[in-house]
Amino acid sequence: MDVVIDNLPFLLKGAYYTLLITVVSMFFGLIIGLITAIARLKGNRFFRTIARVYVSIIRGTPPLVQIVIVYYGLVDYGIELGALTAAYIALSINIGAYVSEAFRGAIQAVPLGQTEAALATGMTEGQAIRRIVIPQAIRIAIPPLGNTFVGMLKETSLVSVIAVTELLRSAQLLVAQYYVYMPFYLSIAVMYWIMSTLFTFILNKIEKRLSVY
Amino acid sequence: MKKSKVLLALAVTSALLLGACGNNSTKVTDKNSLKAIQDKGEMTVGIMGTYAPYNFMNKENEYDGFDVDIAKELSKRLGVEANFVAQDFSGLIPGLQKGKFDILVSQVTITDDRKKQIDFTEPYITNDVKVIVKEDNTTIQSVEDFKGKKIAVGLGTNDEAFLRNDLMPKVGDFKINTYDDVITTLKDLDAGRADATINNVYALKPIIKENGFKVKVVGSPIKSDKAAVAAKKGNTELVDALNKALADMKQDGTYKKIFVKWFDEEPMAE
Repeated sequence: MDVVIDNLPFLLKGAYYTLLITVVSMFFGLIIGLITAIARLKGNRFFRTIARVYVSIIRGTPPLVQIVIVYYGLVDYGIELGALTAAYIALSINIGAYVSEAFRGAIQAVPLGQTEAALATGMTEGQAIRRIVIPQAIRIAIPPLGNTFVGMLKETSLVSVIAVTELLRSAQLLVAQYYVYMPFYLSIAVMYWIMSTLFTFILNKIEKRLSVY
Repeated sequence: MKKSKVLLALAVTSALLLGACGNNSTKVTDKNSLKAIQDKGEMTVGIMGTYAPYNFMNKENEYDGFDVDIAKELSKRLGVEANFVAQDFSGLIPGLQKGKFDILVSQVTITDDRKKQIDFTEPYITNDVKVIVKEDNTTIQSVEDFKGKKIAVGLGTNDEAFLRNDLMPKVGDFKINTYDDVITTLKDLDAGRADATINNVYALKPIIKENGFKVKVVGSPIKSDKAAVAAKKGNTELVDALNKALADMKQDGTYKKIFVKWFDEEPMAE
């Protein structure tokens, strides 16, 4: 375990990048997911189709493939992204599709009477969605979102293939230097676990805050 | 009550599965590994599989290249078949130590550091390592100019260790980007996301030609690397047998034939 202690700062730096990528991608993923969910439920046929195709493609292809396409593939079309930027973009797009499904289910779970009542009080359709449906839907969406986010945290390990030194890559670098596997992989497993537990804890807090029942 | 039963069942099955996996990995005992290989009739050879012209997958989807030919020839002389297993370079040495492979023939450069971990045969090739930059780059003429730049290199390779441990203290800090294969390393160099890479020119020729990368070699060789066949520490019998086979190959011209086939030039006199 001495090798791990000696290299803890290095591993922690990797953990920092893992967290950073997770948080940034989640932020944009939430925005993308919300827009996609509304497009699928309330959009005209054109937007509905686009949203459906996007969700279908993202959910039907491995995230590793998406990351490699964004980073190495787009270069052939003259789009050169930095490694971190590519990681943000690929993972935001990826998580957005899953988030949109969570939101879609949640919006559909809000009783139709709520919308009807809102419309009856003279709100427009847009106002009803913004003020009545979404606030309730977010609360319903929290548990599935929590799952998605914890999954996302682990998926960040995939960006190690595009020269981002996140937690997994830090361990791989150390393995290459010391030729021992277990201590490093065990310690990053513990780190991932701590981070996902932390996320779960925060989400539970938020859920309690939002619950009115 | 029901839930706990299901959990228990799950735990038991997973334990059994894990146990079964554990039994599958045949641990080669060090003493008679040569005998074990010959009894089995096949030798498991670890390669990167993405490193043309040394070891790569050819158009027929078979492993091919200089390393592969050498490994096949060695196996033939030991009276066994070669069975190639490809994985990232960074996993090769740990895999060898765990008994996943019998030998590595994948341009494993002999270094003092590695000698402590694994056993090497006599070298079977010497490679000159040079600096490679984009065609229009004029700022980097040699490794002396690496300071503050982004250098691309294969993860776990000897070149990475050289950059990190030998060069960085000498020329000042620079950023090291690590990749799992040579193709992505060069791709990032070509895209301008890395400023330079170091590698041996034999290895890069086919990839550069195939992809039309606009890169060039600058300066004189940084170092000459000797690569050898690697075996698990303490496998002296196997190493001796491999050494004998290598010496015979060099003697009877087979080695030279393989060398010329892949590099279009004669091997340097030793």
